[in-house]
Amino acid sequence: MQAIEVSHLVKKFGDATAVNDISFSVAAGETFGFLGPNGAGKTTTIRMLTGISSPTSGMAKIFGHDIVHETVAARQSMGIVSETSNVYTDLTGWQNMMLAAQLYRIGRSERDKNATELLKRFELYERRGDDVHGYSKGMQRRLTIAMGLVNRPRLLFLDEPTSGLDVESNLIIRDMISDLIKEGVTVFLTTHNIEEANVLCDRVAIIEKGHIAAIDAPERLKKTIQSVQSIEVSFDSSSPTRLDELRQLSTVNNARKEGDKFKLFTEDPSAVIDGVMAYAHTHNTRVTSITTLGPSLEDVFVKLTGLHRSGGGITAID
Amino acid sequence: MVGLLPSINFIGFQDRLSRELIAAWAIAKKDVIIYYLRPGTIVGGVLFPLFMFLAFTAGKLGTATALIPGLVGITTLFSASSIEPVSIPIERRTATFDRLLAAPISLNALVLGESLSGLLYSVVIALIVVVAALLILATSIVSIFPILVGILLSSLCFATMGTLFAAYPTESPGDIISMVNVVRFPLIFISGVFIPLATLPAVGQMIAYVSPLTYANDLIQGGYNGKMTFNPFIDVAMLVVFILIFQLVANLLYKRFND
Repeated sequence: MQAIEVSHLVKKFGDATAVNDISFSVAAGETFGFLGPNGAGKTTTIRMLTGISSPTSGMAKIFGHDIVHETVAARQSMGIVSETSNVYTDLTGWQNMMLAAQLYRIGRSERDKNATELLKRFELYERRGDDVHGYSKGMQRRLTIAMGLVNRPRLLFLDEPTSGLDVESNLIIRDMISDLIKEGVTVFLTTHNIEEANVLCDRVAIIEKGHIAAIDAPERLKKTIQSVQSIEVSFDSSSPTRLDELRQLSTVNNARKEGDKFKLFTEDPSAVIDGVMAYAHTHNTRVTSITTLGPSLEDVFVKLTGLHRSGGGITAID
Repeated sequence: MVGLLPSINFIGFQDRLSRELIAAWAIAKKDVIIYYLRPGTIVGGVLFPLFMFLAFTAGKLGTATALIPGLVGITTLFSASSIEPVSIPIERRTATFDRLLAAPISLNALVLGESLSGLLYSVVIALIVVVAALLILATSIVSIFPILVGILLSSLCFATMGTLFAAYPTESPGDIISMVNVVRFPLIFISGVFIPLATLPAVGQMIAYVSPLTYANDLIQGGYNGKMTFNPFIDVAMLVVFILIFQLVANLLYKRFND
């Protein structure tokens, strides 16, 4: 049985179509990434898959339960971690866990056991009796995820789990996701961190303007744009004009600065390497490292969503 | 085999009902801890009827003891319907309301849970008024039963009404409070609290019949002085009908506005 089955799902708000006839399925035990720029339809899709919002047309099933007609049964097997750390800050960590468990009708002994185990796993147990408004942002995020796991879900919706977190919380959450994957939990991951999706996901879907633009394993998606290759190079001296000068090299389509390195996009890596070495010689500098890179998942994302890179980041064209 | 079917359905219904009630109670407990057990809420709840009483007596709307039944009714109206219009928009802003919307419970359980906390708060505040009036003003009571039933049903009715108004999809409590007040204040004057129903013009009486406060006030007045406009069973039935209507409409509005 598939964990998620989506067939011709459409969501309209008045005349605007937020999600336009999307279909996909997620196998039980799979880690599925759902990527897209802001406003692409990610949140609307998640709201439909979790039964908060009804589709205009189409069908979605969670472990065989229609999310519209069997909402309670479908939700019983899922855990939901929303983008915002939606914990009750006037309650203690323990009270938050108990509330989440009671909403899933988990008996007292089991909810005590689950809450204790999860709070220890997320390194919150010592602070369980404290009001959550005294927790750091990372701790609140960890508590949000712990609450999403209190019913031991077979399917976990994770919306931007590590966005804006400190290193410690980030590592704890990444480890937890890896553990869940090993335990066979199906994970539906929405993230802006494309490298995170690349590392964690069996497959990713890229949604753009309500349509699924691509859906496949990260490595197979990268192969579809082999023309987007790049050279990463660093020099032993810096120059404020270097980025513009490198852009002028023949066969370099685009270039950007990443820390102390320059990333040069090309369809002919060997010609660019020759060009870089010649540039170093004429500018009296030395190349300290040079690496040929295949397309990244971010490159796939940029190509499929029509975004363009500005400086070190990605911005929407419009 | 055929004979087993009804019992299987009954077990399914019982299971569902038990799930819904446990969830509703969990939501109510959460609200009580976060919103109702705050010193400001408790003090405000007690001061409201006190100031209303002082205003009524200063305005010479009646003798102190004659004002108590109406005051109890108004207290349930305001205390039961005050917190959800504030707490639900706040929870929308912090996205904690999404947690409730995404839980494996029906909207009926969500609406009931939100209303239960208002019911408990209102019952406590109204009982404080009843007891204080007994001890301080030595008010006489013909029968406590209709007073308790009136307080209980009207508290649930007005709490559900507050939850209904809070369905309006805003993150600003002021938006909802102003809408609730448009309904609450006129109810005081058309429900026989200060002006007996019999002395109202025909149009006024027609409007009074569609006010739940009319039936709550009638039950409570009956408990205090034995004089009732309606049969007590009609009062109870009408309050139950209003509760069901508010629950149903709230359910529909939450479904519509969350889409």
